[in-house]
Amino acid sequence: MPIEYKKNLAVFSDISTVEEAESLLEWLQNKPLTKKIDLLACTHMHPANLQVLMAQKSSIAAWPKDANLRAWLESALKVE
Amino acid sequence: MNPLLEQFLSEAREFLQGIGEKLMQLEDEPDNAELMTELFRFVHTLKGNSGLFEFPEMTRVLHAGEDLMDAVRKGRVGYSQALADQLLDAMDFVGILCDEIDADGRIDASRAADSARLAKVLRSLIVVEAEADSTSASGDRKPTNSPAQQSATVNLAQLPLASIPELNRIEAYRRTQNGDALHWISYKPIEECFFQGDDPFFTARQTPDILWGNILARESWPPLAELDAYKCILEFQILTAAPRKELDEHYQYMPDQVEICNVDPLFLVIPQGNPNGGPVYGDFIDDVLPHLETGDITALRIAAQTMLELSNPELWLSSALRWLILLIDSTPENTTAFRKIIESLRTLTSPDWSSVNSMPTAPAPAEKVISANVEFSEEKILLSDEDAAAIKFILAAQHQILSFDDKPSWLLGRLKAVAAVLINYCKVSGDLNGQAEIEEALEQSLKATSSTPLLTWLEVRENEKLVRSVESNSPPKTATTNQIAAPIANPVTLVENSSEHPVVATSIVEGPRFGRRAEDAGAATSSKSLKVDQSKIDRLMNLIGEMVVSKNALPYLAQRAEDQFGVRELSREIKSQYSVINRIAEEMQDAIMQVRMMPVSFVFQRFPRLVRDISRKLGKEVQLVLEGEETEADKNIIESLADPLIHIVRNSLDHGLETPEARLAKGKPATGTLTIRAVQEGDQALIEIIDDGKGIDPNIIKRKAYEKGVIDEATMERITDREAINLVFAAGFSTAEVVSDLSGRGVGMDVVRTAVEKVNGTILLDSETGKGTRIRISLPLSMAVTKVMIVESDQQIFGVPMDHVMETVRVPISNIRTIKRSKTTVLRGNIVPLKTLNTLLGLSAQPKANADDEMAVLVVKINGDAVGLIVDQFRETIDIIQKPLGGVLSGLSAYSGSALMGDGSVLMVLNVKEIV
Repeated sequence: MPIEYKKNLAVFSDISTVEEAESLLEWLQNKPLTKKIDLLACTHMHPANLQVLMAQKSSIAAWPKDANLRAWLESALKVE
Repeated sequence: MNPLLEQFLSEAREFLQGIGEKLMQLEDEPDNAELMTELFRFVHTLKGNSGLFEFPEMTRVLHAGEDLMDAVRKGRVGYSQALADQLLDAMDFVGILCDEIDADGRIDASRAADSARLAKVLRSLIVVEAEADSTSASGDRKPTNSPAQQSATVNLAQLPLASIPELNRIEAYRRTQNGDALHWISYKPIEECFFQGDDPFFTARQTPDILWGNILARESWPPLAELDAYKCILEFQILTAAPRKELDEHYQYMPDQVEICNVDPLFLVIPQGNPNGGPVYGDFIDDVLPHLETGDITALRIAAQTMLELSNPELWLSSALRWLILLIDSTPENTTAFRKIIESLRTLTSPDWSSVNSMPTAPAPAEKVISANVEFSEEKILLSDEDAAAIKFILAAQHQILSFDDKPSWLLGRLKAVAAVLINYCKVSGDLNGQAEIEEALEQSLKATSSTPLLTWLEVRENEKLVRSVESNSPPKTATTNQIAAPIANPVTLVENSSEHPVVATSIVEGPRFGRRAEDAGAATSSKSLKVDQSKIDRLMNLIGEMVVSKNALPYLAQRAEDQFGVRELSREIKSQYSVINRIAEEMQDAIMQVRMMPVSFVFQRFPRLVRDISRKLGKEVQLVLEGEETEADKNIIESLADPLIHIVRNSLDHGLETPEARLAKGKPATGTLTIRAVQEGDQALIEIIDDGKGIDPNIIKRKAYEKGVIDEATMERITDREAINLVFAAGFSTAEVVSDLSGRGVGMDVVRTAVEKVNGTILLDSETGKGTRIRISLPLSMAVTKVMIVESDQQIFGVPMDHVMETVRVPISNIRTIKRSKTTVLRGNIVPLKTLNTLLGLSAQPKANADDEMAVLVVKINGDAVGLIVDQFRETIDIIQKPLGGVLSGLSAYSGSALMGDGSVLMVLNVKEIV
């Protein structure tokens, strides 16, 4: 299931694959500060996508329901 | 195990042997470039082969070896003894892996680390050698020590353990109390890993028994505009309670990207929080330390608990207290650790655990000693290994305490405590003199307020007494003796060793070298398959042939015994002996034949690729169906079949099958089918190549054959369609207008026929225009034994190969007609030409009829036609080992060979094709 892009929100669901990193990066490069990420339904994310989010220091609108994934992602994405 | 793997293993062993030999030869003549190239080729091929299977451990080492050899070959690195040693070592390792695969079908995961290390050593040789002159290299064991060094050098204090939340750390610490070992994993995937289809995040998430995980970037992130999302710069840090073995297995494909190290649970004890507070801390410390001095752990715990309840849980103090309580609960005897934490409250800095012994590693013996304290009257002279280790720990701890050079106010109490412990130790070990000495030393120490006298006593004691007592009781592990024998002057070494104890001990005991193969127990590792020179098998075949023949002499002997000498008893005994020998000989013959048998898949396996390539080239869609690949036949026959089959398949693809468009136009599916089928029919192997292409038009063949002068006009009119299509086997025949790189040279089918006939096979072509073509090749299963029918004519016997015999009939003389000057007869409605064998062989005698005036006619098949041979008498059919005619007889084309009969006579085997 690819990432669904709304105006200022990227909604991840299930597993985001390696191919999606490019489009995600493109989407974020345009006005990155207004963009938010919804990870609620995400179960796994390819690290290429993760790198993009980490580099952009994306603001996360919703953390994953999956507790294990959430713990991992928080370690990488949470702003102290 | 699949045959491919089996073959790989047997080849790999050969290569390893070869590599070893070449290396030895190179030692004698290191400048021999040819040897070097050969050696490189060996390593290169072996590496390539190993890549076919999922043995990353093996491939990695071989790859490094290959690179090294390449560097040597190109002169970038000089050849040296050390280099040869390393290579041999690596090859021994590969050999071990081979054995492991052979035995278990897989490589143990623990090999991954060895493999990575060996590869690293080999690669380091490339660099080191390239830099420094190779002369300095010697056979030092430095690389073999590296694993121990590596794991020892990982400094636990440098790990970012403090970044793990306290809750996770407490959980991890609790896990160690259950006997689990903690491991810290730092996984740094290579930058290109995304392009290799890896998902390192997934790998990290799948790590067994994760207690805590963290993802960070190895370098700072570039601006978004310059970010390369596909260059992996992540690092994964994981704390896990899984055993080392499982971790090795999990990361076995990337041992060079992960660092795994053992974590001493004490290092997790890092108090964190708000450092506010003040004088309360000092009071608390002063309050509890006496408890510690007197060993009143319960009081200590209660004090800590009360303090914790009174404090804000966010405080640094509270965190430290929580840890203190946890430690008290888990290891009540580790007072040093308690002291550390309590002292850390003064400075509000995390305790430095690197100098503290982790008691939990040996909790059992420690308890034992404590109980021994209580009932000290009981003299224990004999120390078990465990006790010795415990005592060692205790003494080390005392030593450490005495070594502190600070002068705290509680120094006197400390000295007394140490003395008490030492006295207890003396009681346990039955050393009564020691008690007095300690008391004396204590007095001196107290007077001088210095720990030196006690320390001196301890050091002296350790050097003599303890070593002796331990040695005399039970031979301890090497590591243990080493530690005791060496004066324990440096507590840090001791701690490091004890936390790494299992690793170090095993590597010392097993020896890091991968054992010279020659020293291994040879029986267990010997390979199952045997490569034998074919000529040896041939000789065996000849010998068994002779044995069969001489065995066949026995019935004659029995007959003579009865007829000539009249001893029936003996005759019967000879016959019964004969049947035994006969059975064994037949089994033996069968067994030898089996050795020579090979499945046709040997030839078939190259077809999928061939068909794919050619059909791509021709723009045709072809589905290849292979059937009966397991059918077996003699090696020579299978091998002789390879080229003809390729010709046939090419022909089918080129001429037979149409392009998809043409096929669709004819109402056939776009994809053509090419079936290659092998079946065993009696003592023949039948191979069919069937395509559903356009078939062969007999009229075109006839015309072409006429144009090329293969047949004359009369023949062209006369021959049937079926005969016409079989003209494609004639020499110099080609239907293609243009010679392409695939076919059209007019040699193909002729070559096919010749090759098939050379192994006594026959080939037949059927075709229906528009529907397809079928080529049938029938081959004898074995060339060694020929079945012949024996016929008698003019009182001589001749053999006729059963392949040619269609039937034997008795034809009344009245039914033999003479048309023009040829004799013929009608057999089931067909006219069969008859020939007299005597005439064909130039014998003047007339054929004899039997009592009923019938002639014996042997109907043979020659090029698909039936011909009757008139002979005097039919005899039995037998298996013979046919020998070609040699010397002056080789010019006799009427005979295809000769064979020796059981009674010693010679049987001439007719070459029916030639004589008719």
